[in-house]
Amino acid sequence: MAQIEYKGKNFEIDEDGFISSFDQWCPEWVDYVKSSEGISELTEEHWKVIHVLQDYYKKHGIAPMVRILTKVTGYKLKYIYELFPSGPGKGACKMAGLPKPTGCV
Amino acid sequence: MSESIDKPVDVQQIKTLLEANNGARIKTWLSICSRCGLCAESCFFYLANDRDPRLSPAYKFKNTLGLMYRKKGNVDREFLKKCYDIIWGECTTCKRCSMYCPFGIDIATLIATARSICFSQGIVPEGLARTSANYRETGNQMGMSTEDFLETCQWMAEETAEEIRGLTIPIDKPGAKYMYTVNAREPMFYPQDLAMAAQIFTVAEEDWTIPSSGWDCTNLAMFAGDKALAGHVVKLMYDKALQLGVEKILITECGHAYRSAAFEGPYFAGCTGGKPPVEIVHSVRLFYEYLRDGRIKIDPDKILTEPVTYQDPCNVSRNGGLWEEGRKIIQFLAEDFRDMSPNREHNHCCGGGGGYIPMGPEFKKRRMLSGRVKAEQIRNTGAKIVITPCHNCFDQVNDLNKEYDLNVRVLSFKEIITEIMIVPEKFQPVDEEEAGDDE
Repeated sequence: MAQIEYKGKNFEIDEDGFISSFDQWCPEWVDYVKSSEGISELTEEHWKVIHVLQDYYKKHGIAPMVRILTKVTGYKLKYIYELFPSGPGKGACKMAGLPKPTGCV
Repeated sequence: MSESIDKPVDVQQIKTLLEANNGARIKTWLSICSRCGLCAESCFFYLANDRDPRLSPAYKFKNTLGLMYRKKGNVDREFLKKCYDIIWGECTTCKRCSMYCPFGIDIATLIATARSICFSQGIVPEGLARTSANYRETGNQMGMSTEDFLETCQWMAEETAEEIRGLTIPIDKPGAKYMYTVNAREPMFYPQDLAMAAQIFTVAEEDWTIPSSGWDCTNLAMFAGDKALAGHVVKLMYDKALQLGVEKILITECGHAYRSAAFEGPYFAGCTGGKPPVEIVHSVRLFYEYLRDGRIKIDPDKILTEPVTYQDPCNVSRNGGLWEEGRKIIQFLAEDFRDMSPNREHNHCCGGGGGYIPMGPEFKKRRMLSGRVKAEQIRNTGAKIVITPCHNCFDQVNDLNKEYDLNVRVLSFKEIITEIMIVPEKFQPVDEEEAGDDE
C-alpha cells in the first residue's frame, strides 16, 4: 500500500493503483488518475459513466458488466472506449473508486 | 493470502495427498536433480533478480514439495506459508525450466503439486479464491449469470450485424462443427471480442455455436491447486460439447484455457487415457487455416507496415505446440516481423502467467520487476506492435508497456484480422438509402 496526497486529499492505493477502499473516493481522485488512464479533459459523459458504476457497486458490491453500463448510460460500446481508453473494466472502475474486478483482468 | 484460520495443519490429509501423488515419476524427479543449475538460467525470475540462487527452479521445488516429502507431511502452517510465497509468488508454472533440465524434470508439475497441498490447508491466494467461489456458483470465473451472458451475445450480434450482413451468434446449435468457448472477461468487460470472433466466423462461413453453459474455457482453479474444482470446470465444457454433439471445442485467444481444455483438464475430469472427449482446437490454429485456405483474405492495402513482434503465450506455444502457426498468421498480416530472442518454444513467459495477474496487487511489484526480461526482449526487437493470442500476456505486456515505457501497442489476432480482412460483397451492410430506393 502506498499513500499519496493530491489537492489536500489523502489516498491509500494498492499496487495496481486502485484506492484501497471505496470510502476514500472523492472527485479529486478522478482528477488525479485521469492522465494515467489516457484522459486529458473530463466531460459530463465521463462523470455519467463513473456515477453509474458507483451506483451499481453500492447495490451489488461488484462492477457491472459492460452490457449494463451501455444500457443504463445509453452509450454505445465504442463510445465508452473513446471515453475510457483503458477500458470500462479497469480504467473506468479505477477512476470510480471500485476495486479491481476479480479474475483475468 | 486468503485469511486462512490459524488452525493446525491436517498432517494426515497432507500425507494422504503426498501418498496419492507419490508415483514413480515424482519420486524419481525429486531424487534425480543433481543441482546442475541449468534450470536457473532458464528462469526469468532468476534472470530478472540478479541471479538470486533462491529463485532457481531447483531451489524452489526442493524447498517446497521436496521438503514436504522429506518430512513425510509433518509440516506446520508457518512452513506452508513460506511455500506459498515461493509457489505462487516466484513461479508462473511456465514450464520453460523443464526444457533445460537435462533429466527432463517437470518442475512446474512439482510446483503445481505443492500448490494443491497448500490449497488443501486453506492456503491459497485471495485473488484466485474469489474466482473459485464464482466457478463453483456459476461455472465461470466472474460469476456471470446465464441470462447476462446470453444477453451480451445477443447485443453484440445486433450491433455487429450493422457491419457484417447476416451476422448472427448462434447459441446451442446442435451438431455444429465448432463450439466456441471464451474467457469470462470477454462477455463481462470486452464484449467486442465476441463481436470480432463472430465477424471472422461469418466471413469464413463457419459452422459454429456458442454454448449457453460451459462457455468459460478458463480454469484458474487449476492454478489455485484445487484439482476437484478444476475438474468440475472443465467437465462443464466437455459435457456441453457432448450434449450438443459438436465436432470440436474451439478455444478463444487465451493461453491457460488451452492448457486446461486440451492437456491437463482430461486428468482433472478423470477422462480415460488423458484425452478430452472431443477435439480441442485453439483459435491460433483455426485462424491460420482460414488464412492458408483463403477463407479469410487480407486486404493488401491494409497489411500492417509498422514493425511487429510476437509474444508466444507459454500455453499456446511451448505447452501447446502452436509456435509456427502463430508466425504463419503474421506472415499474412504484417510486412515487418521481428522475432524476439529467444523465441518460439524457448520464448520467456510474459511474467504474468500461472494465475499471477488474477492474484492482483499482492504480487504486482514482483510481476513488474520480473517482467523486466520480457520488457527487454520486446524493446530489443524495435517493434511498435506486440501481437499475442492470450488475454493474460495482453494485460501483462500492457502493464510492462507503462512500467518500462516501451511505447508499443498490444493487439490480439482477432483485432488485426477484423480490421484488415476483406469483407466480401455479400456480407457488406446494405446501404440504408439504397435499400429505401429499392422499395
